[in-house]
Amino acid sequence: MSRFACVLVAHFAAAAVERCEPALREQPLAVLTQTANIKILVDANAAARERDVRSGMTETEAAARCPTLVTRSHIEEHVAAARHALLEAALAVSPRIEDGGAGIVYVDTAGLERLIGDPEAIGRRLVHQARTVGLVARVGVAGSRTAARVAAASASVPVTVVAPGRERAALAGVPLGVLDLDPPLAATLARWGVRTLGEMAALPREGVTIRLGPAGLRAHDQALGRDHEPFRPWTPPPFWEEAQGLEWEIESLEVLTVVLETVLTRLCGRLGAAALAADVLDIRLGLASGGHHARVVSLAYPMSEVKPMLALVGLDLEAHPPPAPVTRVAVSAHPIRAQMGQGGLWQPPVPAIRDLVSVLARLAALVGTDSLGSPTLVDSHRPDAFAMLAFSPPTEPDAPARGDAEPRLALRRMRPARRVDVAVVGERPARVDAQHVVACAGPWRASGEWWDTEAWARDEWDVALGDGALCRLARDRLTGHWYLDGLYD
Amino acid sequence: MERVAAARGEITEIVGRPSSGRTSLLVACLRDVAQSGETAALVDTEETFDPASAAQAGVDLRRLLWVRCGGRRDVALRAVDMLVRCPGFALVALDLGELVVRLPATLAFRLKFAVRRADVALLIVGRRRLTGASATLAIETRRQAIEWAGPGPAPTRLARVRTTTAVLRARHAPPAESPSRWWRA
Repeated sequence: MSRFACVLVAHFAAAAVERCEPALREQPLAVLTQTANIKILVDANAAARERDVRSGMTETEAAARCPTLVTRSHIEEHVAAARHALLEAALAVSPRIEDGGAGIVYVDTAGLERLIGDPEAIGRRLVHQARTVGLVARVGVAGSRTAARVAAASASVPVTVVAPGRERAALAGVPLGVLDLDPPLAATLARWGVRTLGEMAALPREGVTIRLGPAGLRAHDQALGRDHEPFRPWTPPPFWEEAQGLEWEIESLEVLTVVLETVLTRLCGRLGAAALAADVLDIRLGLASGGHHARVVSLAYPMSEVKPMLALVGLDLEAHPPPAPVTRVAVSAHPIRAQMGQGGLWQPPVPAIRDLVSVLARLAALVGTDSLGSPTLVDSHRPDAFAMLAFSPPTEPDAPARGDAEPRLALRRMRPARRVDVAVVGERPARVDAQHVVACAGPWRASGEWWDTEAWARDEWDVALGDGALCRLARDRLTGHWYLDGLYD
Repeated sequence: MERVAAARGEITEIVGRPSSGRTSLLVACLRDVAQSGETAALVDTEETFDPASAAQAGVDLRRLLWVRCGGRRDVALRAVDMLVRCPGFALVALDLGELVVRLPATLAFRLKFAVRRADVALLIVGRRRLTGASATLAIETRRQAIEWAGPGPAPTRLARVRTTTAVLRARHAPPAESPSRWWRA
C-alpha cells in the first residue's frame, strides 16, 4: 500500500525571503510587488498574519494594521531558489518526489520504513532536511497526496500522521478553505452551508457532478482524500557542462579548435545518451590574463553532432577571437528534446538543415551576411529594387507554374550603373562611348518617388552596338547623364 | 537544353560572347530547378544577376540562394567549393561574367568528384572554358538575330532575340533538340 508524505512550507514567498534574511523570522514580514504605482502585498509571514495582515492589501493599509511591519520586494529568483532547495532536501530522503508547486513537495515513502523508521520518523527527517536548507516545514503522512497535504496544511504540529484507511475521518473536520477552491465554487458551497471537508464528502457524488461540474467533482475527490492526477516524479536538471583545463596557453584558433572538439565530443556523447540535442552553447574561455571570454552560440536548430557544432563555434570564435591566450575551455549546452521529422515521399530532396546551417555560416564568413540570401522583389518601379532575405526555401512543393511558350531574355545588371558618353542624333542614341549604335528602341519613360527626396526620372533605351553587345541605356532626366544599366545576355 | 545543361552529378560549361544568350540559358535552368520544387544556388562573381528579369522568366526566388562575391573570383571559387559539398542542392551555378579565370587542374578534378558525390549539377557560365576535361558538356552560345517592334518606322521596343548553341565538348550524346531558340524580351 502506497504512503505519501507532503512537505509543506506555508506562506512560501515570505519563507523564501526569511531564508535569505534569517533575522526576519521573528518579525512581522510582508512581501510586496509594484503594480500601477502602488505596492500590493503578495505574501506575509505568520507573525504578520497574527496582526491581520493579508495578501492583496496595499502597503499603506498593512502598515496601518501593523506599524512594526518589515517589507521586502518580491524577487522571483529568491522563490525559485527556495523551491529548488526544498526539492533537493526532500530528494535527500526519498528518490521519488513530486514538485507540487511553490512550497509543496510530495514524497513517496514506500520502502523508507526499513531505512528510517515509522511514518513519524520519516516526517521528522523531512522537517529536519527542510530546516537544513533554511525552510520551516510541516509534514503530513497519509495514504494519498491530497490527504497528506490537507493534514499538513491543517495541522499545528510539525508532523501529522494519518492512520491507513482513516483519511476520510481525519479530514472530516478540516475547514473547506484549505482546498483553495475557486471563489465562485467556494461561494456556492458556502451558500449551501458546506463548511468542512466532511460535509463536502457527504454530498451525493452524482448531484455534485450535475450541479458543479468538473470543478465540483474535483473538490469532492479532494474532500474524500483521493488523488486526482498520477504521481509525476521529479528529477533534478542535469548539469550539461564539460570543461578542459590546460597546462599550456593556447594562442591560435586552430589549436583551440582541437581542444573544443574534445570537449564537444564528450558533451555530445552525454546528450546523445539522454536522447537530447542542444540548441544553444555557452562557450567560456579562461584567459591567461585572468579574465574570461564568453560567447553564446545559437545553433539555429537542435543538434547533437560534433562536426557542425564545432564548425559553428569555430566560425563564431573566428569572428570574435579571445583577447588573450586561453588556459581553460568550458562548454555548456542548453538541452532540448529534439522532435524527429520525416520528409515527404513525393517531395524533391532539399539540403538537410544541419548541412545548410553550416554552409550558410561559412558563406556568411566568406562574403558577408548582406551578400547572402534569397532575393525578393520590392513593390517599387525603381530599377533594380530588391531586398535580400535569409535563405529559407519553402518545404512544400508549389503548384505547377504556367510555362511560357517563349523563354525570357535575361539582363545582366551593372552595379553600380556605369556612366557612358552618348551622342544623340534626332533624340535617339547614335554612339555610345566609342561604339556606334546599330539599332535602338525607346524611349521607355519612368519616374517615381517625386514626392520624396529620393525622386528619380529616366528614359530607357534598348541599344544594339557595333561590337555585338545588346544593352540597356538609361538617361537620367534630372541630371541629363547617360548610364549603361545592363547587358541583355 | 536546360535539362541537359543541369544534369546532376556533372559539370556543364556555358561560354559565349556578351549578349549571346548565356545568362538567359542559365536563368532557364534556374527556373526549371525551382519549378520542380528543388533548390539552387547562384554564385555571382560580378553581382550582375537581375532578380526582376529572373522573376519574369519564372524563377521562384525563394528557392534560390544568391551568393554575391563583389568581383572577387577567389571568393567565388571557394563559395562554389563549399556549395557543391552540401548535398540537397539540385543546381549550383557559377557566373564568372567577363572575368577570365584560370582554374588549376587539381581544383577542377576536386570539383568534379565533389559534384558527383553530392549529386549536384554544377553549371559554369563565363567567357571561356574553365574546367577542361572535367566538364561533361561544354556549349557555346551565339546570337543570330534581334527582332525589334514598334508602331512606326522607328522601333520602340526590343521584341525578342534568337540564339543558337554549339557543342564544344560532350562526353555523352549531345542534346538532340534544335540548338536555336527565341528569347522574348
